[in-house]
Amino acid sequence: MEELLRVSNEIIHQIYFVLAGLCGLVLLRGLFSRNTRKTIVYDIVYAYTIIPFLLRALHIK
Amino acid sequence: MFDYEKYKTPRKIVLLLLALALAGFGAREFTELRTMKETVVVSDAFTKMVMLSDYFPPIKGTGVDTPVYIYDSGVPGGSMFYLGGTHPYEPATMLSAYVMMENLKVEKGRVFICPHANMSASTVGMLGNAYPKFLHVETAFGPKPYRIGDRNTSPLDQWPDPFTYVHYPSGQNLDYTDARNLNRTYPGRPDGNLTEQLTFAIMELNRKEKITLFVDAHEASLMYPVVSTYVAHDRALDMAMMASMMLSATEFPMKCEASPKNLRGLSHRDAGDFCDSLVILMETPEPFIDRVAGKITEKLMMDGKDEFLQTAAEHGLLFTDYDISVGCPMWDRVGRHLSGALAMIQQMNDFLMEPEKELQLSFPNYSDLKEHGLGHFLNDPAKADPAKVFLN
Repeated sequence: MEELLRVSNEIIHQIYFVLAGLCGLVLLRGLFSRNTRKTIVYDIVYAYTIIPFLLRALHIK
Repeated sequence: MFDYEKYKTPRKIVLLLLALALAGFGAREFTELRTMKETVVVSDAFTKMVMLSDYFPPIKGTGVDTPVYIYDSGVPGGSMFYLGGTHPYEPATMLSAYVMMENLKVEKGRVFICPHANMSASTVGMLGNAYPKFLHVETAFGPKPYRIGDRNTSPLDQWPDPFTYVHYPSGQNLDYTDARNLNRTYPGRPDGNLTEQLTFAIMELNRKEKITLFVDAHEASLMYPVVSTYVAHDRALDMAMMASMMLSATEFPMKCEASPKNLRGLSHRDAGDFCDSLVILMETPEPFIDRVAGKITEKLMMDGKDEFLQTAAEHGLLFTDYDISVGCPMWDRVGRHLSGALAMIQQMNDFLMEPEKELQLSFPNYSDLKEHGLGHFLNDPAKADPAKVFLN
């Protein structure tokens, strides 16, 4: 039972890394093909907010 | 009117490339801290190095597994387990462990030293605090680098955090980040989160090795009441009282407090409740982590001189003595931990009066560091016997 819980914990841990990668991809899509908020300010926001998700998905930070 | 549709794709590509460049610079910094290794040259009394996972195999191969250095005199007696780096952003704890490891002589009993109790936390910087990554101790062979880590286990090793951390077994609700805080997860549990498993492994070592004295070293901000203080579990309280009086009379002011019964997860409470060891926690003044301190630099970490803290001291806002002409230098804080541990061992021997629990050893104390400096007690790994050099 303890081993099952530990493995489950690790699976959840890895799922969150995958989710971080997916968030990064959603932001990338938002940067290039969004229909609202088209100003350069939002371009900067979308580009900048990719950074933490990218670093998390790559297991760097 | 600015036409945002014009050149929009090249503009976005340029912004994305800029963000990726920033990510690259950041990644280099984070990776440097995560992969940097500290060196230690163990003394002649060293017996062997084991991994904490030898006491609880499920943490083997994880980011929290950490080396434990054993010094066995071969003469039956008591034992001490010294933890440095429970919170790696309190680096005098880890440095005191290293000074101990490089200079220890044991005549009776055994000593277990873990310089990085939370190895994972030592590989990541404090989020949002612009801390320097490393500190350097001046030695005769040049500056020797050490890591300045975080308070909690790295999110790369344990993530996500819960909304509220429910302490086991008390059920007390704690701050969500305390799920990754080694000193809020005692006594740990074998099927808990990774930090709880780490705590459980530490407790397993205490129980299996029948540790007599368990010392958890910490540093505190000067505006925190529990600074320059022993916090003692019930069984160790009389000894800690005597040790604090002895230190205050001979070397430096040291307070003593009883571990509160309703504040759960801390070593001085739940480690003491769940093993037979005498448990104490020691706090030294660390100017680096006060919210009022000025620029957080390596210089501040090493000399502890800050004009804002001086102003706070003049207004009676600090809970320890502070004078900017002296500061709180690293040698002082490391020396406090060393003398603090020696004083507890002396009191333990006097109070217990049981030969089978007596511990006889020596390592540099506060006065030695005051006279010779911290670097004097660190050995050059390049000139040492390679069998005595370890990487952490």
